[in-house]
Amino acid sequence: MEYMGIEPGRLHFSWISSAESTKFVDVVNKVTAAVKALGPNNNYLKTMAKVA
Amino acid sequence: MSAYIDKIKEISNRLLKESKVDMVIGFRKGTVPMMNEPCFAKTPQDVDNFVWDSNCGINLANYLTNREEKIGIIAKGCDSRNIVTHIIENKIKRDRLVIIGVPCKAMIDRHKIETMFETEIQDVIEADDKIIVKGDGFEKTLNKSDVLQENCAICIHRNPVKHDEVVGDPVEEQKDVDRYEDVRKIEAMPPEEKWRYFDDLISACIRCYACRNACPLCYCHTCFVDESRPQWVGKSQDPIDTRTFHFLRAYHCSGRCTDCGACERACPMGIKVRRFTKKLEKDCLDLFGWEAGMTLEERPPLDTYRSDDPDEFIK
Amino acid sequence: MSDWEPKIVSFLCNWCSYGAADLAGVSRMEYPPNVRVIRIPCTGRMSPKFFLAALREGADGVWVSG
Repeated sequence: MEYMGIEPGRLHFSWISSAESTKFVDVVNKVTAAVKALGPNNNYLKTMAKVA
Repeated sequence: MSAYIDKIKEISNRLLKESKVDMVIGFRKGTVPMMNEPCFAKTPQDVDNFVWDSNCGINLANYLTNREEKIGIIAKGCDSRNIVTHIIENKIKRDRLVIIGVPCKAMIDRHKIETMFETEIQDVIEADDKIIVKGDGFEKTLNKSDVLQENCAICIHRNPVKHDEVVGDPVEEQKDVDRYEDVRKIEAMPPEEKWRYFDDLISACIRCYACRNACPLCYCHTCFVDESRPQWVGKSQDPIDTRTFHFLRAYHCSGRCTDCGACERACPMGIKVRRFTKKLEKDCLDLFGWEAGMTLEERPPLDTYRSDDPDEFIK
Repeated sequence: MSDWEPKIVSFLCNWCSYGAADLAGVSRMEYPPNVRVIRIPCTGRMSPKFFLAALREGADGVWVSG
């Protein structure tokens, strides 16, 4: 992904067990912070109107 | 080269005569120069049409899927690797195949030659390592080594990996080739520059899907680009749709691509589509030490699990 | 754009992270409201076309969690 010009940090992977709600909250915080720091996604966005 | 074709014809005729195969897939001369086309020979008369020169860049493994006949197939190094991939993926049974191996002496790049001349090329003749290009009012001799297909110039598996018959002695494999120079160059770019680079690269794409059709790996019943419910990729030439198509096509080939160059050869716009697949090919080599189609014994990395698989990207 | 909030599409495995999200909710934990959860049967269901589609349709980030 990064190779093709999507900023590193737009895409996240994690592994959380169903018992790890604290980790879940933690990761949500981290992911949100990372994406916030990057700013809006302006590149990989379809701007042309969708034709139904 | 001419020694090859005599041997190819001899083997094909023998296989057909002994009913070992129902047909032999090979090449015949195309209607325009530098465009040899596949030929399905079922009789010795058909076999007479076979040719072998430096324009046999099409990957014949593409024609093997979903067939019931016993097939003899002419295979270069890359074709043979794709045949192995087909066998691993259960697209064809090994015992229905007779692989006629051809130690490959590299193919020439028709895009490159076409851009060298302003007017139409009418004839291209090969003599040893020279290529003579003829057109209306001109004739020029080129060195074959200057006009090789990019993937052939960096090829390190010219001899077929699996074959039942072989038409000549193995050729010497290239050593110390820097296969991934261009990929590393792109990897070193900052994100915006990469974005612009690929914008530029695919700006000419007309979404004809010739690259997909030429690819032996692309045999899905319904390709993702043709799916409409849900529609993953728009059918227009919207730059994002085009980019999505190229991304996904590359992903679908990861761990399977042999860098045969059929996609790039097929592109009517001369887009270097291998820039996409090659990155994934490099990753497979770096992360899993895997080169597609080299062995029938091992499963490809993307359908096996090992506890030491790289996982640094997971939080 | 100081009040801009990112939209993050998250693909959560039914058995792992989706359960964790459920537990977080039941435990009344607080976390940012930017994630939009899509439940998938297993992370094995994930495909590159999902996150490309998400980004294309306007997501700012994608998070896959097993």
